[in-house]
Amino acid sequence: MSGIDWAVLLGTIGVVVAYGLWRTRGAAQLNSYLRGGTDSKWYTIGLSIMATQASAITFLSTPGQGFEDGLGFVQFYFGVPIAMVVLSATIVPMYYKTRVFTAYEYLEQRFDLKTRQLTALIFLLQRGLGAGLSIYAPAIILSTVLGWSLTWTNLLIGVVVIAYTVSGGTKAVSQTQQLQMTVMLGGMGLAFIYSFMTLPDGVTVSDAVGLAGAFGKLKAIDTSATFETRYTLWSGLTGGTFVALAYFGTDQSQVQRYLSGESLKQSRLGLLMNGLLKVPMQVMILGVGVVVFVFFLFHAPPLFFNAPALERARQFDGAKTTALEQRHADVFAKKRAAIDSWVEAHHSNDEARQRTAEATLQTLEAEAKALRKETKALVTASDARANPKDADYVFLSFVMTRFPSGLVGLLLAVILCAAMSATASALNALGTTSVVDFYKRSIDPTLADDKGVRVARWFTVGWGALAVAFAVFASQLDNLIQATNILGSIFYGPMLGVFLVGFFLPKVRGTPVFIATLLAQAAVVATWLGSDIGFLWYNVIGCAGVVLMSLVLDLRKA
Amino acid sequence: MSPEDRPPFFRTWRGAYLLVLGALAVEIVLLGWLSRHFS
Repeated sequence: MSGIDWAVLLGTIGVVVAYGLWRTRGAAQLNSYLRGGTDSKWYTIGLSIMATQASAITFLSTPGQGFEDGLGFVQFYFGVPIAMVVLSATIVPMYYKTRVFTAYEYLEQRFDLKTRQLTALIFLLQRGLGAGLSIYAPAIILSTVLGWSLTWTNLLIGVVVIAYTVSGGTKAVSQTQQLQMTVMLGGMGLAFIYSFMTLPDGVTVSDAVGLAGAFGKLKAIDTSATFETRYTLWSGLTGGTFVALAYFGTDQSQVQRYLSGESLKQSRLGLLMNGLLKVPMQVMILGVGVVVFVFFLFHAPPLFFNAPALERARQFDGAKTTALEQRHADVFAKKRAAIDSWVEAHHSNDEARQRTAEATLQTLEAEAKALRKETKALVTASDARANPKDADYVFLSFVMTRFPSGLVGLLLAVILCAAMSATASALNALGTTSVVDFYKRSIDPTLADDKGVRVARWFTVGWGALAVAFAVFASQLDNLIQATNILGSIFYGPMLGVFLVGFFLPKVRGTPVFIATLLAQAAVVATWLGSDIGFLWYNVIGCAGVVLMSLVLDLRKA
Repeated sequence: MSPEDRPPFFRTWRGAYLLVLGALAVEIVLLGWLSRHFS
């Protein structure tokens, strides 16, 4: 990394953090610390909501997903605009009416204390582990590609985030996220444009699009009606809507963002801004991965994008690694000849020759995929803890080797900004929920303003320390990380169900909902353990389970 | 609805909601066309 890159990286992070601290100096009232002073405008709320959802993995894995599977993943986000409209019309006005600090506080007003604290506890468990993962996941990739120490990368991200989140509370998080999201959108926009500029001379944008299409990378919509295919139009519109409703409507890390709004109008506009920008933003990020895929049709890609893992494989079985590399080079040479033939045919409008080249390319692509599979097996055999999903490393490797000085620093700043923004929202929400739903509610109901801020700060520090500790020790806890990823999908459905019963079934009482939540939760866990159903459907099952069982149990009780 | 509660450019929130859902419909149609045309 050059000096210019370091200057851009440290300058960007420094300005973002300093801006957040400067804008929130002197904030010491409990209301402003936990709710951000309720004076945020729609653009701050909108950018803050987007930054909370956009973790570093969004910018590392999503281009990798575009590289591997094309644009299909965008269907997961089709539920976001629908959810933004539903939330703006129903749940957000309800939160404003009841003037709550946390989403779970509403549940006590509607049901009882045990339902409130059960949902708050589920949130603390899920988000607490998630905060550690939001630090660890980018740190492991950054440290692998850049050669940084994993422990120091974890500590760097964690300590900076804890510092400004503890110091300025909700307002600091929102203000920094406003700048962070601007950096992220600008950086990825530049990456998208520059990726096209890396294509060889004589290859037009039309060629690139045609080639991406020939390899199926532009298949954004899948209308097949199957439960096993993870991303389809139908799972996106139904399961995706449920996920988005649950995440944006009941997860305190998001609820806290729009509760800081100056008015209901500003909060609604912030949510609708997210609804308008989400799908185009994801298409752009996946599109970067597709362009990188086209780039590697003209330039030989490495056998495996995670270089240190490949080196370990070489030490484990040098002969097999060399043989795989040789076969990989042969396949690429044949592919390159077919690509050249395709481009010539495309320029001369020779459709028959184009089809012949595409048929050859498909056969060669199948061979390349089989080789990748063999390589992944070798990498896993050489190190059981190695990540066999090298698509996560594609984008960062591409940036480090192909982008000019300055842009490399900016893209690294994008990834660190994303890691910090997602973690800051989580710590902020964890601290708030701990204080409002447990400490103030059950330990010290007369909590004074200045003491309240102190307590909130200590809770935030505690959650931050726990997140950093999880991130530092995560490399020894691979199964826990996998569990954390699944955790979100398992808990969101029942959580949304509780809120939907609260909002739309006014006659149902607390105890039936409490029991229904536990039963539906058990049903989702059983589905996860005992079936191959795509995880998006867990949300539908959990939510429908709570609503239906609440109704049945309430009728029985009545 | 008081003027300060109204969304910009629309008389009611329903208009703003339709704009967001309409944009999603257009995006799905465009992506569907992209999927069909280049596959």
